Amino acid sequence: MAEELNEEFTEGLLLRPLPDRRVLAHFHFQSSVPPTRTYGRHHHLFPKSIYQLINKFRVREMELSFTQGRWNYEHWGGYDPISSSNAKPPGVELWADFDVSLDQVDASWKNLTHALSGLFCASINFLEHSTSYSAPQWSFRSFAGKLRYGTLPREAVCTENLTPWLKLLPCRDKAGLSALMDRPSIYRGYYHSQRLHLTSDEFDTAKSNSGIMLEQTLTVVLQPNTLGDRAMVSGKTLQPSWSLSSLFGRKVHGKCSVSKSSNVYVQFEPNLVSELKEVWESVESESGILIHDAFWNNPIFEISASPDRVVKEVGNLQKEVSSILYEFLVEDYNDSKPFDLGLRWKLPVVWSCKQAPLHASRFLMGSGNERGAIAISLRSSSNNNTQRVGCSEKGSQLRIDIFQVVPWYVKVYYHTLKVFIDGELQSTMENIEKMHLSPSEDKVSPGVMEMKLRLPCSVKTAVLTLEFDKGFLHIDEYPPDANQGFDIPSAVVSFTGFQASIGFEDNFLNKLPILNELQERKHVISYTEVLLVPLTTPDFSMPYNVITITCTVFALYFGSLLNALRRRVGEEERLLKSKAAKKRGPLSSMLSKLSAKLKGSPLEPSPTPSTSPSFINYKLIVKVILVAGMAAGGQYYFR
Amino acid sequence: MDVLFKSAAVLISIFLLLFCNAIPSVAYSSSSTMHTNNWAVLVCTSRFWFNYRHMANTLSLYRTVKRLGIPDERIILMLADDMACNARNKYPAQVFNNENHRLNLYGDNVEVDYRGYEVTVENFMRVLTGRHETAVPRSKRLLSDEGSHILLYMTGHGGDEFLKFQDSEELQSHDLADAVKQMKEKRRFKELLIMVDTCQAATLFSQLQSPGVLAIGSSMKGENSYSHHLDSDVGVSVVDRFTFYTLAYFERLNMYDNASLSSLFNSYNPNLLMSTAYYRTDLYGRQLEEVPVTNFFGSVMETIHTDSPYRAFSGKYSKIEIPLDQSDEVKQRRLKSSDVPQELTGSNITGKHVTCPVTRTWNAILGRIGMMKELDSLVNYGLILMFLIATGSSWFSS
Repeated sequence: MAEELNEEFTEGLLLRPLPDRRVLAHFHFQSSVPPTRTYGRHHHLFPKSIYQLINKFRVREMELSFTQGRWNYEHWGGYDPISSSNAKPPGVELWADFDVSLDQVDASWKNLTHALSGLFCASINFLEHSTSYSAPQWSFRSFAGKLRYGTLPREAVCTENLTPWLKLLPCRDKAGLSALMDRPSIYRGYYHSQRLHLTSDEFDTAKSNSGIMLEQTLTVVLQPNTLGDRAMVSGKTLQPSWSLSSLFGRKVHGKCSVSKSSNVYVQFEPNLVSELKEVWESVESESGILIHDAFWNNPIFEISASPDRVVKEVGNLQKEVSSILYEFLVEDYNDSKPFDLGLRWKLPVVWSCKQAPLHASRFLMGSGNERGAIAISLRSSSNNNTQRVGCSEKGSQLRIDIFQVVPWYVKVYYHTLKVFIDGELQSTMENIEKMHLSPSEDKVSPGVMEMKLRLPCSVKTAVLTLEFDKGFLHIDEYPPDANQGFDIPSAVVSFTGFQASIGFEDNFLNKLPILNELQERKHVISYTEVLLVPLTTPDFSMPYNVITITCTVFALYFGSLLNALRRRVGEEERLLKSKAAKKRGPLSSMLSKLSAKLKGSPLEPSPTPSTSPSFINYKLIVKVILVAGMAAGGQYYFR
Repeated sequence: MDVLFKSAAVLISIFLLLFCNAIPSVAYSSSSTMHTNNWAVLVCTSRFWFNYRHMANTLSLYRTVKRLGIPDERIILMLADDMACNARNKYPAQVFNNENHRLNLYGDNVEVDYRGYEVTVENFMRVLTGRHETAVPRSKRLLSDEGSHILLYMTGHGGDEFLKFQDSEELQSHDLADAVKQMKEKRRFKELLIMVDTCQAATLFSQLQSPGVLAIGSSMKGENSYSHHLDSDVGVSVVDRFTFYTLAYFERLNMYDNASLSSLFNSYNPNLLMSTAYYRTDLYGRQLEEVPVTNFFGSVMETIHTDSPYRAFSGKYSKIEIPLDQSDEVKQRRLKSSDVPQELTGSNITGKHVTCPVTRTWNAILGRIGMMKELDSLVNYGLILMFLIATGSSWFSS
C-alpha cells in the first residue's frame, strides 16, 4: 500500500511499421498523484500547473489534443486502440467534464479555455464563445450535462504547442524517450497529434480515490529516409528499413531517471504476423516453427537489438493470429551505449491494416452560395472479413453513433434528413434508433446532432444527407481570410458494438500504462473530414466606397443648392470691379497710409466709409487699459 | 532691447503654460523611479505566406531580446500567422532570416502569446493598456510597472499614419498615441522605445505626446521599406532591410556591452536601407549617448552588494550605502549605468528632467527672472513698451 501512495511517472514508446512504407511512433507518458486528502499539496513529479488547473476549475476529466494532418484510416488502420484514441480531428479538440453545479459549468469552461490558451500558447480561448462549443448529451461520452466539447479545426500546431506540453514532463525533453523529439523531424511527418488526458476523482467523496492521472501521448506518422532507389526483391518493393536515429535524428541515452519504467515496443499487427508466417513458410518450407522464438533475426527482417521480452496477444478468440510486441528496456542503455533500435527488411512483405467496420467520410453537395447539403457516407471496407465479426449471428445489426456539431451560419434543416442504404432511400424512423437535436441559434449556439443509427449487417453503403442554407455574418464577424471559407468541424462516428483492445497474456503487464492503454476496452471511433464551406463574403472595401460616393453626391447637391439660393450675381460683379480698382498688396496700402498720415493730408482713394475719430479714441483707450491691467497683474503675480 | 525681449517672452509663456500644465507632474514622478525591469512587446501584423519576412523580423528581434536577457514571461509575442509549420514551408518547424540558414529562429523554446486570429488591434490595445478580461492568463498580459522599460516592436504593412493588421484592420497613429498616453497615466512604463519596420513608419509617431517615449521608424513619410533578400529555397523574401541591419548591429553585442542608443541610430545607412531611418527623440529626456541599448533590448539589472543580510528598501527613496572596499567597483558601475546618477541626484535638478519643450523654456525664463534684481523696473519698461505698441498699431489701423 505504501507504494501506491507515491507519485508515479512512466514513459513508453511504441513503434509500428505501417503498410504504406511509413512508421508510426506513439509516445506515452503518464504521471499520477494520490489524492490531496491523503498526500497533501506538495508534489515532486506531478506538474503544478495541471494540479492547479484541476483544483481551480474542478475538472473531473479533460482531454486536449493538437493535431496536424489527417489519420489515414484505410492505410494506418481503424480498428486498433491507437487509431481509436489517438486519431484526432485536425486542429484543437477539447472536451472537459466538470464537477460543479450545472449553472456553473459554462463559466468553468470559459475560464478553463483561457487558462489552457495561456498554458499551451494556442488560441483555445476562442472556444469560450457559446457559438463554438456544445454540450453533447449521450453520444460523445456517457457523462450527462456537465461535459463541454469544442474544436478549432484551423488552429495551427507547431513547436510552441509541443514545448509547454513537454515542460509538464519531469525530464522535459532533456532525458529519456522524450529526448527523441527533434522538432523538425516530428513536424516533417504526415500526421502528428499531441494529446493530454486528465482524470481526477479528487472531488468524489464517496469512493476510494485514486487521485489525479495525467496521460500525455504524442502520435506521429513518419516517412523513413530511403536513400537512393527503392530496393527491389523478386519484383516487389522492399519495405523501408529504419532506425530511431534515422527517424528522429537522435538516439536514446538512457531513461528519464525519475520514471518508474521506460520501455520501447515494436508492434507487429495481426495481419502482418500472418503475412510473415506465410512468407517464412514459403522461404524455409518447413512448418511448425514457433514464430515467437528468435523471431527478431530471421530471413524476412532483422531487429538491431535483441528484445528483452516478447509479448503475445491473447483473448482474441476469433483468430489464430495475433499481434506481437517486442519489448526493450531503455534502462540498460547509457551515454556510452545509446539505444538506437532499427528494423531492417530483407524480404518484401505486403499487408493491410485492420479496418473499422465501416469507413466513414463526409462531403458537401450542391453548388452556389445559397444552399448545399452535407452527406455522411459509411462504406464497408474492401476486405470484409473483419467487419462481420461484430455481427456474426444472423439478423443482428450494426449500431453506430454519430455526433456532429455545425456552426450557426450553416443553417441545417434537420427535417430534410434522408437515409440511403445501398443507394435506396429508406424511412428514417426505421434506421434511427435515437436522435437528439439542438438546432442552432443565430450568434448564440451551434447546431448539435446526436444520432444512434441501426444498420443491417449486410450493408454496403449508407449515406445520410442533410440540407442547409448558408447564413450571413455581420461584417465584424468575418475572419481576416474569409475568402478561404469556413470550417465545419469533424463528425465523430463511433461503432458501439465493437471494442478495440489488445489483451495480453501476463497480468503483471497491467502495471505498464502504455500497455494498459492498448488493453483498455473502448469503442471503435473514427473522425470524418473537416468540411470547408465557402460563404458569401462581402467586398470589404464596400463601406468605404459607399461613404465616398454618398459624400460626393451630398456635396454636389448641397453645394449647388446653396449656390442657387444664396448667390447674387449682380453684387458679386460689383465687388469684383471694386477689387480690381484697388489691386494692391496689404503692405503697399499700409505704407501709403503711413505716408499720408505723415504728410497730414487725407488718403485720396477712400472707398470704405471712414469711422469717426471719436470712436477710434475710444478703442484706443480700451486697449491701453487692457495692457496696463495685464502688466499690473503680471507684477502682482511675480511678487 | 534684451529686456524688452524678455518681457515679451514672459507674456507668451503665460499662455503656453496653460497648455502644458498637466504634464510636468507626471514627468517628475516617473523620472525619479528606478528602472527595475524590462518588457518587450513584439508584433507581427501580417498574415499569409508571402509575408514570411515579417514573421522572421519579429522572431529575430525575439531571439535578440532573449539573448540579451529578457525572460520569456516578460515578452509578449504576437504572430499573425503560422509560418513555421505552414504547409508551404520546406523546413518544418524552422524559420530563417538569412539564406545561409545558419540560424533557426524558431528554436525549441518559442512562446507565442497571441497568434493567428488573435492578433487584432483590439488585443494589441488591450495588451498595451492592460484592460483584459479577468480570465486572461498572466502570460498574455503586459504586467509592467512604473519602473519598466518597454520595447515595442511592430512590423507589417503600413502607410501614412496607419499600420495594417491582418489585411482587415488598421492601427492608426492616434490609436497608438492614445494607448501610450493611457499607459503613461497608468504608470505602466518608465521609458518606452517604439520601433516600427513598415512603409512610412515615421508617420505612425506623429501623434505621440507622452514623455519618456523614444521612437524609431524604418522610413520617412513617402518612403517605402524594402525587404533585404530573397531565399530561393524558402521561395520568399526572408527579412526586411531595417531589421536586417538592426540585427547586424546587435549580433556584435552581448549582454555586457555598453553600446549606446545613439550608436545604434547612427549605424543605419540610408543607402543600404533604401529609406531614411527616422528617430523621434523630443519626448525623451535623456541624452542618447548615455543610454545603453540594453536599457531596452536587454535586461541588465543592477546588482547591489550588501554585507548585511537582506533589507527591504523602497526603490524610490533608497540611499545605497557603499561599503568602502567596493566603492571602486560601484563607481565603475555608475559610469556604465545611467540610471544610478539620475536616481541619486534626481530631486535636486528637477528642471532638467522635464520633457515637454514648452515647460523647459518656461522654466528657463523663470530662472532668469529670479536672478534679476530690479523686477519693478522691468515691469515698468514692459508697460511702456506695450503702451507704445498698442498706440502704434491702432494709429496705423485707423
